[in-house]
Amino acid sequence: MTAAIVAHELRKTFAARRRQIEAVRGIDLRVSAGEVFAFLGPNGAGKTTTVRMLTTLLPIDSGTAFVAGVDVGRDPVAARRRIGLVGQRGGADLAATGRENLLLQGQLYGSDRATAERRAAELIELFALGEFVDRRAQTYSGGQRRRLELALGLMHNPRVLFLDEPTTGLDPHNRANLWEQIRTLRESGTTIFLTTHYLEEADALANRVAIVDHGRVVAEGTPAELKRELGSQRIRLTPKADGTPIEEIAASLRTLPLVEEAQPADGAIRLTVADGARVLPALLDRLRERRIELDSLTLAEPSLDDVFLAKTGRALRDTGDLEQAP
Amino acid sequence: MKLAREIRLLTMRKLLETWRQPTWVFMGLTTPLLYLVLFAPVLRRLAGAPGFPRGHVLDVFLPGVLCLIAFGAGMGAGWGVIVELDSGVIERLRVTPVSRFALLMGSVLRDTAMFLLPALVVIAVAIPFDYHPNPGGTATLLALLCLLTAATSAWSAALGLKLREISSLAAVVTGLQLPLTLLAGILLPLTLAPGWLRGLAHTDPLYYTVEAARLLSTGTIANWTVGEGFLVTAGLTVLTLAWATAKYREAAS
Ligand SMILES: Nc1ncnc2c1ncn2[C@@H]1O[C@H](COP(=O)(O)OP(=O)(O)OP(=O)(O)O)[C@@H](O)[C@H]1O
Ligand SMILES: [Mg+2]
Repeated sequence: MTAAIVAHELRKTFAARRRQIEAVRGIDLRVSAGEVFAFLGPNGAGKTTTVRMLTTLLPIDSGTAFVAGVDVGRDPVAARRRIGLVGQRGGADLAATGRENLLLQGQLYGSDRATAERRAAELIELFALGEFVDRRAQTYSGGQRRRLELALGLMHNPRVLFLDEPTTGLDPHNRANLWEQIRTLRESGTTIFLTTHYLEEADALANRVAIVDHGRVVAEGTPAELKRELGSQRIRLTPKADGTPIEEIAASLRTLPLVEEAQPADGAIRLTVADGARVLPALLDRLRERRIELDSLTLAEPSLDDVFLAKTGRALRDTGDLEQAP
Repeated sequence: MKLAREIRLLTMRKLLETWRQPTWVFMGLTTPLLYLVLFAPVLRRLAGAPGFPRGHVLDVFLPGVLCLIAFGAGMGAGWGVIVELDSGVIERLRVTPVSRFALLMGSVLRDTAMFLLPALVVIAVAIPFDYHPNPGGTATLLALLCLLTAATSAWSAALGLKLREISSLAAVVTGLQLPLTLLAGILLPLTLAPGWLRGLAHTDPLYYTVEAARLLSTGTIANWTVGEGFLVTAGLTVLTLAWATAKYREAAS
């Protein structure tokens, strides 16, 4: 497979009020053509800054970036023809109707009016814009506007599409719809680079994920690889409250083969195990021997949350801005 | 060819946007008329005073009003830029292969059109009230003032891209607007002013435009002051267009 995005040692430092903010500190990327690549990280991790460098919006301090085979720093105009961007702030022209937005976008990429109209019709169909596309964009709901903006990014059939937090601010229903549309795009062969705060999103959409924190990639791989790297699976069981004390059960389960850890927590026991499929039968046998009944039992793959915690020592939800970073 | 097409598309976008805000069109037309109705009568008393040579007050006053319209028509560009920075429109347009000069010219040409429209109305309205424009001179005058609008529009857009905040932009623009227009003798010619003020006026580029405008509206075209006015205004236009295009090119941060 050919590479759609190759970046080497990308760096960007902003000067803000006599202070230097190192937003991106040496990022390497390699995204294959046709792949959906998720760039996952907390607020201020440097996701938008990286995207802006890759899409010619921000001069690159040092390092190189090739997108769709073009050196972004050397030949930004050629790069612009091949890429699309749906920025974090969207970019629909609110004073114009959705259709006017689409037609202008197509024509600015050099299409004649008829071609732009045909392409707009396809996208109106794909993103179900028909109902509101002839209204002015300032009257749209958040989800409608997001769909229009996604369509804008696709008017010129870009080879590589950058989506900066495409689902932020959408309700679960609209988010699910957008995921569906991104999957459709993936099937059509468009390379997609998307940034997100949401682990579920990266897990659901991406072939590969890079986790960024403080301007660096801290982990990279397929979602499955990242979880495997973390190794074990989790079992969580809740015994019925009346029986054997929970500490005693935990101690007993700890002696089973392949169980790495068994921690009592809030009336439940959390087990870390090397191979859930083989542990479970032994575990159930042990519980039956000791006549312990259960309220619930769940077996979970490690989530990307766990990966983030393991790699950065912080949970994804409660990270602050880069400003407070070391 | 490609550039002309891009400029046409982006100017149409801006014109459409303005057209859909009828209050702006309305205000753009009424404000200059208010000068004629509420201020010009005061000046009638001054007929015969120095600076009002032939006694036709409007002949002196009206070119000043036209300069004011031209200056004001471009001033708002920076506000639009900041709104579009916030909504991401400028970023989206900057990712397209469109020329950065064309991105700028969309609002510059819209502003120029929004100068010409009220200017023509004001001229038409003033003629029955003792205004005596010279056709050739007035056409040249309008061309000169289109350059002025282009310069202020580009200047305001560049400031918007640089400052990125409405409050800072407003402070800079209104802070400069008043001294620039007063020093240029827009409403009353500086022939009424003391010597030091007349000397200071020569540091204000707008002064040369206004001086040229007064002569042009009476039909004096082949004249050194008119040439000077064109030279200064065109120079200013080139400089501000170059600066604003550079700002669109980097629009970093
Ligand atoms: N123009 C700028 N000037 C100064 N600092 C900036 C600028 N742009 C970004 N930064 C800083 O760089 C860091 C990275 O910002 P960036 O926008 O890339 O983060 P992000 O990962 O996209 O975050 P979010 O999830 O909140 O969108 C932040 O600390 C931010 O404040
Ligand atoms: Mg961001």
